[in-house]
Amino acid sequence: MKAVRDDLHVLTGSYALDAVSDAEREEFERHLQFCPTCDAEVRGLRETAARLALACAVNPPARMEQHVLAATYRTRQLPPLPASRPRRVSRVPRRIPHVPRRLAVLAAAASVAAAVALGITQLTAQQQLDRAQATAIARVVTAPDAHVDTARAAGGSVTVVTSLALHEAVVSTSGMASLPSSRVYQVWVMSPSGARSAGLIHGSSLLASAVRPGDQIGITVEPAGGTARPTTTPVAVVPV
Amino acid sequence: MGGMSRPDIRQLQPEAPPAPDYEPDLAAQLVLVSRGDHRAFELVYGELAGPVYGVVRQVLRDPAQSEEVAQEVLLEIWRTASRYDPDRGSPAAWALTIAHRRAVDRVRSENACSRREQKAAEPEPAEDDVAETVAATLEYQRVRRCMGGLTELQRESIKLAYYSGYSYPQVAKLLGVALGTVKTRIRDGLIRMRDCMEVTW
Repeated sequence: MKAVRDDLHVLTGSYALDAVSDAEREEFERHLQFCPTCDAEVRGLRETAARLALACAVNPPARMEQHVLAATYRTRQLPPLPASRPRRVSRVPRRIPHVPRRLAVLAAAASVAAAVALGITQLTAQQQLDRAQATAIARVVTAPDAHVDTARAAGGSVTVVTSLALHEAVVSTSGMASLPSSRVYQVWVMSPSGARSAGLIHGSSLLASAVRPGDQIGITVEPAGGTARPTTTPVAVVPV
Repeated sequence: MGGMSRPDIRQLQPEAPPAPDYEPDLAAQLVLVSRGDHRAFELVYGELAGPVYGVVRQVLRDPAQSEEVAQEVLLEIWRTASRYDPDRGSPAAWALTIAHRRAVDRVRSENACSRREQKAAEPEPAEDDVAETVAATLEYQRVRRCMGGLTELQRESIKLAYYSGYSYPQVAKLLGVALGTVKTRIRDGLIRMRDCMEVTW
């Protein structure tokens, strides 16, 4: 049995319907890279397949929404692929940072790096994600406009390094009171329009995205798994 | 033979609610989701949960299992939103490709431990779930009309492959035709569907 090259093109339909084996899928995807015609056809057929799915849409059980939304608060997202086009980030004018602030940033960067390193050794299954997270964190703390704020929180301290140009902030904590397993520290980006979760603190640093001037970073104690909206008074609030 | 029963698109009530609009907005929402925006994800969920659950259930049939897989898929959409590339297709196609593949993977891994035959032999659950109203009449009518324009072999091949999650060699066996014939019929049929539904991409 030999795979005939001409045969591959005919596979566009079966590929778009997931009717191929894993081995065939891999072979066909390699083929797609060198066959723009097949690639274009696959896109159209995939859109067509999506219509077949839309035709059998059924409202799922109502409880599913709560389950999924709750799970998003416990699930770290993948960073964009390096090859993909960069998302446009609006540049703000660079300010020349004061020397003491630079030093503070570097110190914060070092402690953040250490925390991230710890996170990586602890969570081997998530190594790749953590590494990507570490890259994102490094990008923030080394941004030209990065500035650092610290506040006392729950017997320890919270450090927030913000780059408004990147709209991102790195939140790291140290020495905060440990919580029972039924509770977690949850980080919020607080703006006049409300609070948006930036995730749960799991021992290392955390990246908050879509941070805008005037926002504040807040930390609250919430039930394990986190909540959609803050339910307790923040233990710390840090302006960015 | 339950496993080989002809897959049919769910019958719809004529007075069922109109199809939701798949606005270009969904792509913009996905960008926000990729930045960790939970509110944007709620909107994305609202748009995609029905089709995702619907297609997974069409393939898997078992409601509990379908719910489980649909949840995984929706969470995958949250997790991999940054990987959605608007140049490569619509958000719905991206999401539903993930959904269909997950469902098919589940079917195939179950086949490996030969559990699917039992599942398929179980009686279909009574449709007493009032909440499960079909949400996409318009799309259903279109698909139905365009399916009508296919040859019998094209139509059966596409239904068995997509709605039942069979591989094309399985489809060939079920329909008693050669492998090459099935591959060609699936492709020709889908191309005809694409043109009939005026899918542009």
